Amino acid sequence: MRAWLHSVRVLVWKDLLQEWRSRDILTSMLAFAVLSLFIFNYALELSPLNRAEIAPGIVWVVMVFAGTLGLNRSFTAEQDQGCFEGLIMAVPDLSAIYFAKLLTNLLMMVFLAVLVIPIYSVLYNQSLFNWAFFGVLALGAWGYSAAGTLIASMTVQTRMRDLLLPVLLFPLLLPVNMAVVKSCGVLLGSVAGQDINSWLNLLLVYDVIVTMLSIMVFEYVIKE
Amino acid sequence: MSSKNKLLALLSVLAFLLVLFAFIRMLFFTPVEQTMGLVQKVFYFHMSAAWVGMLAFLAAAVFGLLYLSRKDLKWDTLTAASVEVGLLFTVICIISGMIWARPIWNTWWTWDPRLTTVTIMAFTYIAFILLRRGVDNPTRRARFSAVYAVIGFISVPLTFFSARLLRTIHPVVFGGGEADMNLNAQMLTTLFISLGAFTVLYAALLLHRARLMAQQEELNQKLAADDGSYDWGE
Amino acid sequence: MSLQARQISKAYGVQRVLDKLTLTVDAGEVVCLLGPNGAGKTTLIRTLSGLQKPDSGELYWAAQGESFDAPLLRRSIGLILHQPFLYEHLTAFENLRFYSLLYESGQSEAELRVLLGRVGLGNARPIPVRGYSRGMKQRLTIARALLCDPQVLLFDEPYTGLDQQGCGMLNQLVLEENSRGKLILLTTHELSFIRQIATRFDILHRGKIADSIPNAGISLDSLQEHYNSVVSAGAKRQKEQA
Repeated sequence: MRAWLHSVRVLVWKDLLQEWRSRDILTSMLAFAVLSLFIFNYALELSPLNRAEIAPGIVWVVMVFAGTLGLNRSFTAEQDQGCFEGLIMAVPDLSAIYFAKLLTNLLMMVFLAVLVIPIYSVLYNQSLFNWAFFGVLALGAWGYSAAGTLIASMTVQTRMRDLLLPVLLFPLLLPVNMAVVKSCGVLLGSVAGQDINSWLNLLLVYDVIVTMLSIMVFEYVIKE
Repeated sequence: MSSKNKLLALLSVLAFLLVLFAFIRMLFFTPVEQTMGLVQKVFYFHMSAAWVGMLAFLAAAVFGLLYLSRKDLKWDTLTAASVEVGLLFTVICIISGMIWARPIWNTWWTWDPRLTTVTIMAFTYIAFILLRRGVDNPTRRARFSAVYAVIGFISVPLTFFSARLLRTIHPVVFGGGEADMNLNAQMLTTLFISLGAFTVLYAALLLHRARLMAQQEELNQKLAADDGSYDWGE
Repeated sequence: MSLQARQISKAYGVQRVLDKLTLTVDAGEVVCLLGPNGAGKTTLIRTLSGLQKPDSGELYWAAQGESFDAPLLRRSIGLILHQPFLYEHLTAFENLRFYSLLYESGQSEAELRVLLGRVGLGNARPIPVRGYSRGMKQRLTIARALLCDPQVLLFDEPYTGLDQQGCGMLNQLVLEENSRGKLILLTTHELSFIRQIATRFDILHRGKIADSIPNAGISLDSLQEHYNSVVSAGAKRQKEQA
């Protein structure tokens, strides 16, 4: 267990350092997110009344789409430089590679949320500064990253790569999408507050199940 | 004909006869339902198709797990065949559902939990097929298919519960209500016969498709080996 | 101590790449694997390293007295494949340190710098590997392979990208490791360089070791001739069988 955590720590540090040096993923995710928020304003013609209802949906959809950019790139180095095999030789338990990538992707999503919330609040003149709101987004990001990391590790090894990721991932994300949007709606007061617990439970169950399942099957994805 | 092929032929004939029997019974020997009228009869095949769609998905996940533990490519062929057949039945289910819904609730689509789940299942099936097309290496394709089949299957109950939770909070807005059907004993029997017939049909189609896939794969490999220039991307 | 492949077979679909291949490499040997493109040299190296499982047959490592199980022996294998296993945005030193931490090989900063010096990167600028030439990347890859002071070196086309000086450096390194009793197996097409250090040449053809020639000062021309005759004899036999 100690060895597993050590591997995870070293791998996460390497990914963060790589990202810090290149800043590829974060900048493109952020640019995409901000542009999307702009587009939504014109596409949806929101009046102050229905803005409150739609806010969680917009924020989450923006994160889902921007997130695919991060997911796609998270395995590019490993794939293009053959590093998968270098890691397979070096890491005793391959699930550590999965978990490290999950954490890295989760951190990117959280970082994205931290930036999107104030930007949305400014552009739409509606305060989304709410710890619980942020917490739910983080829980959703966990589920998203758990499924996304597993799927991305497969699609990066296919011919179609980036194109295939949304097709494979989005059908699996429905529970997360619903849970995040509905819970956030309750927290912002736009939806009557029953049953937020049910949604949060569902989200947590999804997160745990998908993470555990992925940890178990990951070695089949990267190793012959 | 080899004995395996003979058995398959027998199974196919049996499937055909059972479905025909179910069809005739449904049309002529089952009472018409009170509230919905004649169109309700679509229900028997609609439900059976849904059942097969779920069964095929479960089977695909099981075959996938079997491949991962045994590494025999025949399990992978069964996984892929099951998904294709399952997709076929799922589409039949959705379309028959729409045919049934229109006259009764005056809408083509409802966000009913079961319909939502079945449609997501169809999307997952399609994604599975696209995934397979994107991988040329047979063992890698088999591993990925197995993993996706398993995770896809696990997501189905989660999706169902989410959609149902949504429904309990938002009462029916678009008019796709719970099917209020009065089924008497005769109708139930027809339903069970129909389910059984479709299951046998699934088995027959599965085995046919698997056999065809295996032959196709063998042919592809022989062609590739001859050519000698094929890069498996190891 | 020795590494043995016993009756290893591997097929990709109907294409049989390795066909009941048997090979032994003893400590202190430098075995050079020769063979035409597509003969299966890379597949064999990958199988020996544990990255790929053979369809049948066994790997046996005599020192442990037990079967070769790659995860347990990860520090004991130094592997070089076609791709460099390097992270482009990290410097050479950071790449080594990353792998060193992952392997838990406990080397200090100074030791890593010494290793960089051995491959001729001691004075290289601390820039991300992205800015390195192919030759410099290859040197770094070699350093990475030697990181844990592994007992077994499996190098697939290690001369790729290296200039004359680099090839000399590699030969020097191999001789050093050889004198310390390591097991070394490499594949290459650079007959002139490998001739200086190999103890034995094994020719891989049609999935088997078709011939094994000890390097008792054999000349380059006769080695080339021998290789050509083995390969064409095998091809002729194949034609006759078909």
